[in-house]
Amino acid sequence: MSEWLESAIARGQDNQDWLAPKRAQALDALANTQWPTRKTEAWRYTPLKAVERSSAKALDSVSDLTPVAIPNVSAIELVFVNGQFDALQSTKALPTGLTVQLGQDLSADQQAEALRSFSNIKPERHLFGLVNDALAKDVLLVTVAEGIEIAEPLRISSLLSAGAESHTRVLVRLEKGAQLAVIEDVQSQGDSLSTAFVEYDVAAEASLEHYRFALQTGSNLTIGGSHFQLSDKSKMHSTIVGFGSELSRLDTDIIHAGEFADAKLNAMYLLDGKELFDLHATVEHAMPNGTTEENVRGIVADRARAVFNGRIHIHRDAQKTLAELNNRNLLMSNKAEINTKPELEIYADDVRCAHGATIAEIDKQALYYLETRGISKSKAQVMLNFGFINELIDLMPNEALAEWVRPIIRERFAQMEVK
Amino acid sequence: MSEFYMTEQIDKALAREYEAGFVSDVESETFMPGLDEDVIRRISEMKGEPEWMLEWRLSAFRDWLKMDEPDWALVDYPKIDFQAISYYSAPKSMKDKPKSLDEVDPELLRTYEKLGIPLIEQQMLAGVAVDAVFDSVSVVTTFREKLEEAGVIFCPISEAVHKHPDLVKKYLGSVVPKKDNYYAALNCAVFTDGSFVYIPKGTRCPMELSTYFRINEQNTGQFERTLIIADEGSHVSYLEGCTAPQRDENQLHAAVVELVALDDAEIKYSTVQNWYPGDEEGKGGIYNFVTKRGVCHTNAKISWTQVETGSAVTWKYPSCVLKGDNSIGEFYSVALTRGRQQADTGTKMIHLGKNTKSTIISKGISAGKSNNSYRGLVRMNPGAEGARNFTQCDSLLIGDQCGAHTFPYVESRNPSAIVEHEATTSKVSDEQMFLCQQRGLDPEKAVSMIVNGFCKEVFKELPMEFAVEAGKLLEISLEGSVG
Repeated sequence: MSEWLESAIARGQDNQDWLAPKRAQALDALANTQWPTRKTEAWRYTPLKAVERSSAKALDSVSDLTPVAIPNVSAIELVFVNGQFDALQSTKALPTGLTVQLGQDLSADQQAEALRSFSNIKPERHLFGLVNDALAKDVLLVTVAEGIEIAEPLRISSLLSAGAESHTRVLVRLEKGAQLAVIEDVQSQGDSLSTAFVEYDVAAEASLEHYRFALQTGSNLTIGGSHFQLSDKSKMHSTIVGFGSELSRLDTDIIHAGEFADAKLNAMYLLDGKELFDLHATVEHAMPNGTTEENVRGIVADRARAVFNGRIHIHRDAQKTLAELNNRNLLMSNKAEINTKPELEIYADDVRCAHGATIAEIDKQALYYLETRGISKSKAQVMLNFGFINELIDLMPNEALAEWVRPIIRERFAQMEVK
Repeated sequence: MSEFYMTEQIDKALAREYEAGFVSDVESETFMPGLDEDVIRRISEMKGEPEWMLEWRLSAFRDWLKMDEPDWALVDYPKIDFQAISYYSAPKSMKDKPKSLDEVDPELLRTYEKLGIPLIEQQMLAGVAVDAVFDSVSVVTTFREKLEEAGVIFCPISEAVHKHPDLVKKYLGSVVPKKDNYYAALNCAVFTDGSFVYIPKGTRCPMELSTYFRINEQNTGQFERTLIIADEGSHVSYLEGCTAPQRDENQLHAAVVELVALDDAEIKYSTVQNWYPGDEEGKGGIYNFVTKRGVCHTNAKISWTQVETGSAVTWKYPSCVLKGDNSIGEFYSVALTRGRQQADTGTKMIHLGKNTKSTIISKGISAGKSNNSYRGLVRMNPGAEGARNFTQCDSLLIGDQCGAHTFPYVESRNPSAIVEHEATTSKVSDEQMFLCQQRGLDPEKAVSMIVNGFCKEVFKELPMEFAVEAGKLLEISLEGSVG
């Protein structure tokens, strides 16, 4: 076991609050966990040396950190600073039907209720999910009441000072027929270590729009997960945009716990320098008649490394499932690396499942075509790269968010070309 | 079609008895179960091996003791007691090696006949040289002279150790190192026999070479060792097929096959595997833990084709190391599981050289309560400039109690390399069945036709004799199992 994990376990034992029973479970599981090595399947391509070396530590909340503004998006803000909920920066006047509560502010009865749903969706196998169980203090509970549609997106920002360690946790529940859009992002000043986990309980006929931006680069260690449980006839549409950092790892789990649920996941990663980005996307079809469509695209330049694991698991009862996964990658340099593993595990016969994965470089003919039109090679490359990713950006339901992220991506490509 | 009818069909198919299930009565000389250095020394002594061979075995054994059994495959079986296995069994009548078929124990010949391997007929009609392995000692080698004329060496590996020590020393363990994996190490320590093939420079082997394997003695493990060397510019097609008699105790089969294709050479290796799969409850049946790998030098080509219908547990990944520039690796596979069978099979294509190409076509068919997994690796190393891979894995599910899985690892470290992977899973569609039946085909024929179509891409890669056998094997295995 690593020293880092030992210290995390020790710190977890100090937390004696309403979550104590869940923490005890997590600590128990952690004590029996092997620290991942190259032979640990879930961490095969992602070494954790950076975590072991990390000097990030828990810091007090500071007031000089504010979430990056997103033009033309008026979001309901929920802000964590260095792992602590910042009520001042968070939106106070909430629309009718939306409640946001801190776990410690709940009545004993409510806490007992909340305890039942805590870590109910996030599978136990996620090592850092367990760490988060043990160390997250300010747990937020977000609920959208039955049949309510919240017009503005809810934005959950986790902000970190330089050298800070933070563990944030949010439980989101959409009651029957409710509708909500959520934006998750983490921003840090550098040398930070964060685990940010959000669990989504999407009740029957509810609809969730989800965005996760992992745009912080550099020396940050960003680990997290978004875990979704879908009930009968519910819907989700998720968009993930990831830049790499010294270590950036995201686990998503989509669990079809009801029939006729529909899930869409569009993810993209754009890596440069010596960055690492690792996306593990799991889909569990536990009930019949579900549909899942996943599109994952990546561009990897310089010495960066991308890891993608896309698992689709069709359980025995999940007849009439339709599930597709498509992973396309562009490799930009001789020193870059892509490791992809789309997986199908199928125990029901009347299903249609497919996955595909490709790795190649930019289409030379397309590049040549643009060059013959007088466009410089580097410009042409940016155009082609952008086009490849923009196909997924175009699918974002929130056009204002798409408008915000497009120039950020274009800028990233322009930087890639300078080297 | 009524649901009842479908169930009936499935039941009928699942109740099919293993056709090759019988034990022939040949007196055998068999070691007591158990494994230690003494057993290895005795195996080596029985074979009259030189000192270097014994040392090689012993060092592999010492490595093996320190290794762990792999546990990553999606298969589930009781822990193997390696001390309960007997590591040597030879038909007694082999003591004074027969020179021709007439001298062979008639009981042996009858065994082959029951399995549909008429040696004499093959000699006369098929033009196939047969090195038949009955348990651990090669029994008959035919067409030796004709091969000798061409300069081709095709003999039991135990003989090659004596007659061609330089080739054996140079290439044995060069593709699959002693410590490669747990079962390969065990094989190195205790292998009893297998085939050795050497094709000289620029030679096209005048016939297809073939070995039929057969596990016969109760409680014996079968540890085959095959080494095929195709020298520069040569060509060989090698056929391997097997079937085994019925019994209750699980049997371990841990073979190692090494292929070396030197510059401009081509090796085509085809397998039809039909070991005893166990009964309805998965009792008995062979554990087939095989390591097969080939190295391609410049412009060389290795093509693996396999039709896997047998064994209780299969753990097998015929692979190609594409070392030389412009070399080609191919893997064509049909794996059918039913009853309680578990198969975890696939391939590894390691691209090292420039402009290397690989093609992977894998067809998995799961029926009954079986589990069938494709597990593959495609790796483009930094030097694999302009390399190309295409992978297609299709799974067909028959019945709602089975599983079909795909675990492809794709790793690329060269931007000019192109990797494509596709996988699909579905059942035999109701529309296809309806269409066929509307045209007067009974459901059984329709299924057989659809499955044959599903596997066509692989079957067309098989040599003629095997293609016929494979189609038949699949048809029998699938009898009525779909509605």
